Amino acid sequence: MNSIMGIAKKDIKILFREKGTVFWTIAFPVMILLLFTAIFGREIPFNANIGVVNYDDDPYGISASVVNGLNNTGFLTVKNFTDENEALEELNATNIRAVLVIPQNFSQNLYTENASVSLILDGTNPDVYRVINDGIKTFFLEFYKDFYNYTYGTNYTEPITIKTEISEIGQQIGYKESIVPGMLTYPLLFSSMVVSTGAIVFEREKGTLKKIRVAPIRPINMLFGKTLAALFQTSISILIMALLAVVLLGPKLNWNVPLLIPIFFLGSMNGIALGLIISCIGRAPQEASNAATTIAVVLQFFTGMYFPIEYLPVYMQQFGRVIPMTYAAQALRDIMIRNATFADLAISMLTLMLSAAFLYGIGVLLYKRWVEK
Amino acid sequence: MTEKMIIEVEGLVKHYGEVKAVDDVSFTVEEGEIFGLLGPNGAGKTTLMEILCCLRRFDSGKVIVHSFDPKKNSLEVRASIGFCPQETLLYDLLNVYENLAFSASLYSLSSKKFKERVEFSSKVLGVGEFLKRRVEQLSGGMKRRANLAASIIHDPSIIILDEPTVGFDPNIKREFWELIRNIKNYGKTVLLSTHDMYEADEICDRVAIMDKGKIVALDKPHILKKTIGGEPLIHVRVKSSQAKKAISILKEYKTSVRDNEIHISVENPWETMTEVSNKLTSQEVLIEKIEIVEPTLEDVFVKLTGRKLTEEAT
Repeated sequence: MNSIMGIAKKDIKILFREKGTVFWTIAFPVMILLLFTAIFGREIPFNANIGVVNYDDDPYGISASVVNGLNNTGFLTVKNFTDENEALEELNATNIRAVLVIPQNFSQNLYTENASVSLILDGTNPDVYRVINDGIKTFFLEFYKDFYNYTYGTNYTEPITIKTEISEIGQQIGYKESIVPGMLTYPLLFSSMVVSTGAIVFEREKGTLKKIRVAPIRPINMLFGKTLAALFQTSISILIMALLAVVLLGPKLNWNVPLLIPIFFLGSMNGIALGLIISCIGRAPQEASNAATTIAVVLQFFTGMYFPIEYLPVYMQQFGRVIPMTYAAQALRDIMIRNATFADLAISMLTLMLSAAFLYGIGVLLYKRWVEK
Repeated sequence: MTEKMIIEVEGLVKHYGEVKAVDDVSFTVEEGEIFGLLGPNGAGKTTLMEILCCLRRFDSGKVIVHSFDPKKNSLEVRASIGFCPQETLLYDLLNVYENLAFSASLYSLSSKKFKERVEFSSKVLGVGEFLKRRVEQLSGGMKRRANLAASIIHDPSIIILDEPTVGFDPNIKREFWELIRNIKNYGKTVLLSTHDMYEADEICDRVAIMDKGKIVALDKPHILKKTIGGEPLIHVRVKSSQAKKAISILKEYKTSVRDNEIHISVENPWETMTEVSNKLTSQEVLIEKIEIVEPTLEDVFVKLTGRKLTEEAT
């Protein structure tokens, strides 16, 4: 019993003497709880951008109040368009998730109980599709109820017709098709970051980093050497995941390998660079490992890997849009679900390239500062 | 400085916070010599070596290694040095050959040169017999040899060894000294640190004695011993019951008693030893042992610092 207590006491003492480890031990549950509270602790845990094209010649401001009403639902953020094609382009670029077209005679037809609107939905994300479709139908039902009561003082007879169609840019897909690209983002974030963090920490702990530091090589060579090994390890994870996904789930996806490879490569480079930065900051191996795990777990919420970022509060969605891995996750979806072309992916690729270069720059600076103390 | 100086250090200072780890150190190392830094743990030897290897920055002073300034030409300095620290820097899960190959890759060695160097390591350091064995399966001595082989795989002109035989048993220690001498025979310059006075005495051409970050003496071991350590002493051991009688007989000499032995300090001990022996035996004092003991570097260190070399060792 004494020996058991002795070992436990020793480990706890060491834990408290490694300040970084203590920090990440506390930071992990705090950050996770704050995230879950921010994401799921709201009354309306969803917010998606939709486009509205209002063609209605409306002297009474009825269609304008429809737009305002949609904006005030709390789960939709409305972007106004004057041209339907322009709105569809935004839908195609996934900047918005649906386009609502209010026709020219909408207000007048309300009085004749023959009003209708068109709703074009992005079908490539089943969750988002369902929430927006159901939400807008419910909204118009309630709106018409209010309108009818106000106008006639009695209950309504027929609601507004909503002509729903799925956007041409993506077919409506099932959950397994939706989840596979997210699953493939997992190794880009976790494997690459954890592997690269461990790579330098291992050398440092083993003492072999001294051997490398004393050799006539530049810090960037050291980091690139580590990167290549981490890329290899990450590639194995991706390959196994992709094969298992095909075998176990059999999703109907576009496996455009020539486009997937550069995204996997650039995504991994970002994860690896982040891991290298963590390993240069973390003093103790446990600290670096805790930091890598916490950061990876937290970032996954923002990237849309497992659930659409529309479930995040708006400010978190904005944060998600500055994380490189969000672009990798979106690019994988675009390739596998939307059949995106190289040109469609140009912005994502450029973003991933620039962020990887930026993160490597920081990594080199930190490594140099660390080794030349 | 002449062309023969391969390392030049002048007024070197390095602080760790408030602690002055290296305090105004100056010395030169000649090409082809084995130069020792002798001192207890914490004397600043490792810091000094790490500065020479570009592993640490220094606060002030001048360092020239192989005609290069480490601050400006760090890559050139590192290419000319083979650094073998105290700890074994090998990957346990790789075999010795793979470890050597990795080290060679750090110095961009061609495959031809690598092959030559592996042959050299096999011949001079004796690693050939366990080249294909994983490091985790090697004995301590084998690991040290493999470690040294990996450190000099790129054929550096300067080899820096930090406490190369610490923790070795005497036999392996002697074997390792022989390896270092072999390396010197190939024209290499060796700079080694040690807190073992016998090691410094045995293999170093010149020794700098360090204490608290300073060099307190620097010269060839025999000169240090002669000039600072003092003259050889006659050590006499007699039966403890006859010790007082012996001291009384030898009262005309300058004597002291340490570790149950009478130490006699005279100008010419070789001539006096017979005289001492005769005086004691004629008075029926039974001599158990009589010998002339040369001063050691330990004595030099004690005279310079008032402490033993091992006092601060851990």
